[in-house]
Amino acid sequence: MLDRMTPMERAVAMAKGETLDRLPCNPNVANGVARIYGCMISEFNTNARTIANAQIASYRRFGYDGVRIFTDLFPWAEAMGAKVSYPLDNTADLAQPAVKDINDINSLQPADPYKDGRLPVHIEAMKYLIDELGQEVPCAGGIVGPFTNAFFLLGVENMSKLFFKNPDAVHHACNVSLETCIRYAQAIIDAGLTPTISEPMSSSTVVSPKHFREFAAPYIEKLVHYINERKKPVTMHICGKTNKIWEDVVNMGIAGFSIDNVEDLEKCKNQIGDRVKVLGHVDPSSIMYDGTPETVRQAVIECVQQAWDCPKGYVIMSGCSLPVETPPENIQAMMDAAREIGYPVDPEKLARMQTARQG
Amino acid sequence: MAKDKAELLEKMAKSVVEMDDDLTVELAQEYVDQQYDGYDAINMGLAKGMDRAGQLYEEEEYYIPELLMCSDAMYSGLEIIRPHLKQQERSGKSKIVIGVVEGDTHDIGKNLVKIMLETSGFDVVDLGRDIPPIDFVEKAKEIHADLIALSTLMTTTMDGMEEVCQILKEQDLTERIKVMVGGGPISKSFADKIGAHYSEDATKAVKLAQQLVKEEIRC
Repeated sequence: MLDRMTPMERAVAMAKGETLDRLPCNPNVANGVARIYGCMISEFNTNARTIANAQIASYRRFGYDGVRIFTDLFPWAEAMGAKVSYPLDNTADLAQPAVKDINDINSLQPADPYKDGRLPVHIEAMKYLIDELGQEVPCAGGIVGPFTNAFFLLGVENMSKLFFKNPDAVHHACNVSLETCIRYAQAIIDAGLTPTISEPMSSSTVVSPKHFREFAAPYIEKLVHYINERKKPVTMHICGKTNKIWEDVVNMGIAGFSIDNVEDLEKCKNQIGDRVKVLGHVDPSSIMYDGTPETVRQAVIECVQQAWDCPKGYVIMSGCSLPVETPPENIQAMMDAAREIGYPVDPEKLARMQTARQG
Repeated sequence: MAKDKAELLEKMAKSVVEMDDDLTVELAQEYVDQQYDGYDAINMGLAKGMDRAGQLYEEEEYYIPELLMCSDAMYSGLEIIRPHLKQQERSGKSKIVIGVVEGDTHDIGKNLVKIMLETSGFDVVDLGRDIPPIDFVEKAKEIHADLIALSTLMTTTMDGMEEVCQILKEQDLTERIKVMVGGGPISKSFADKIGAHYSEDATKAVKLAQQLVKEEIRC
């Protein structure tokens, strides 16, 4: 490893406000770890050992600052009755929501993380991960938040229309969904990892801030509180536009906010960086998947210029999970750029790096 | 007292924007009872409402759920109007094959684009979702389409978009059949790279399609 500190040492030092060897950097490799390790993505559906091994292999190769058990958006809805399709070598997808007829909504039950669907596989993978990497790197368990998960219980179009036609049904689904999230969060904490929340449907690219406040925020906030009461900080990622709901999200008590590349990173830092750590936001598609190592390097420099002085800390990250086929050399380039920038961050050096393009 | 045509059209547009499907149906029925022109009802009533909804979406006043409700209202009005359309007014329209690329089953974006295109006068053939690249080309050839519109929400299906463009190139069809792409992970740089045209959202997709078809006529 090229770094002087382990990711865990770096995270601890950062939390204490001590000096670091470099900024933390998490490319957010997601199911692309299957390419690094050499397995089919569908193996993640049944084999906890393979999930953990793939995560560990990818971490060992790049040395990034966080590992996470999270394979797709649907294990929780699946555990509550939704049908999921499993392509052989691609990310699982929702085939059918849990509730087909809205009259059946009362049959929804919260999932048991140790019994239902693929949740036990994920919990088992977490145990392998924490056993092997727990001392060295922060280990997380990903949860899809209660609002987004409710969309997969009711069907995306269906739930959108219920906002107008039957708000009570939406609240009911979110409530049952929340109970599943809470149980799963507890299972993550019991395994010794830290929960992170993904709430893509909360995005203002999808729903209005008004509907977010009405249907999403009350439930997400309860989940955040539950996790905080167990002395765990929680980072949240929302894809797409979020600037109109930043204050809402921060007020829930999150420790970090991971911001999509469509948003303004500097504005985000200026507005909420005094209260939460900001993570982001190299474009996973046009830069990480489509770009070259040099465009990745330049994009990292730009992000660092905008957010390195975030009062609560800044983590170099992709704006969302990386596409599975992201070239490994681009992931490497992201880590290399973080190492080249070093610490403490020097704006003049960043400017010099910007003019001295490589390759 | 019978309302005049302009008033009904304006009210229909408004009821679509305001997501009121019952009122839209009522107005559409009143409109056809008066034997006003069906095509105008779509263009100057329902589609105008959808246009305004699209405008509100761009202005971040409306979001996806609001657009879905508006499109439901529009479709329920369309059901009333459709049987009253004169046949010749439906022929000679530019044809578009639309669908979601194989590997992706998210189709909200595609459905919105389809509605917008239809109400803007395009003849749209919807292949649905999770469609293999070759199927787009085969269907486009079969119906003599001017455009193929590809949508995705998942980065994993971007290769499928490239493949559609590749097949068209191999079959020497790139001049005849243009490709437009859109969806969450798609960027202009990606579209440029694969030789397709990029549209940021549903409203812009209509403008792009109109532009591409016009260009074709000019050639």
